[in-house]
Amino acid sequence: MIEASGIPTLVIGTAHDIMSKVTPPRAAFVDHPVGRTFGPPNDRPRNQAVLAKALAELPKFSRAGEIRDLGCNWSPDGSRDWEDELRAEMSHDR
Amino acid sequence: MPFEYLPIMAQNSAPKPPRVLASPSKPAWCEITNPVSASRVALLSSAALRLANQKPFIPREDSSYRRVPSDLAAGEIIIDHHSGIGRVPKQDPEIVFPRTALAELAKSGIVGSVAPFHFSFMGGLREHEKIENELAPAIARDLKEAQVDLALLVPY
Repeated sequence: MIEASGIPTLVIGTAHDIMSKVTPPRAAFVDHPVGRTFGPPNDRPRNQAVLAKALAELPKFSRAGEIRDLGCNWSPDGSRDWEDELRAEMSHDR
Repeated sequence: MPFEYLPIMAQNSAPKPPRVLASPSKPAWCEITNPVSASRVALLSSAALRLANQKPFIPREDSSYRRVPSDLAAGEIIIDHHSGIGRVPKQDPEIVFPRTALAELAKSGIVGSVAPFHFSFMGGLREHEKIENELAPAIARDLKEAQVDLALLVPY
């Protein structure tokens, strides 16, 4: 609707599976836990780095529905231990 | 392999049926003509955000929206969304609503300018028609009025 009104949009999201189904015009995938798209609390440099990465990706979109991976890891060592913590958090989401 | 949210969402919605994910009935694509460095940018958040002096959102099907001032001195951001994942972002809403980061990028010239208002609404609404016919057009009108060139949507 916003795009149809003449304003380009960019979704910056953590849920790759949802973005694949919803197919927004342009989507930037951040591999962080949901609710922490721009990093952990009180980390302004990281907030800014993720946002700048997403904006830098804009000229590379060539077709509607494309999802571009920003290459952001939640843990510096690439660990995915956060997934179990997130599952536990989301179990309260009823 | 990215984390899979849909199976958990389906499990959590029981006994109600899982939320149906909807795409716009009329997909659109608007070419980007301005570089970001010459664009006025606004944030859109589905975290049901507001300032303390703005009317609270009423979970779960509140389809209203708030204009959240981009002025960092306007006040603290409150997250009204009911999601269980809110514990961490409520400590620091900037991690889902990077208005400080956007302001900094504008200051350094990476972003042209920041719109006077950002926008927020309740994510996870089940009434898709209302979103498409009322909520989204109203926000689109406000964005046009504010001469926004680029809208950044951050799902919650």
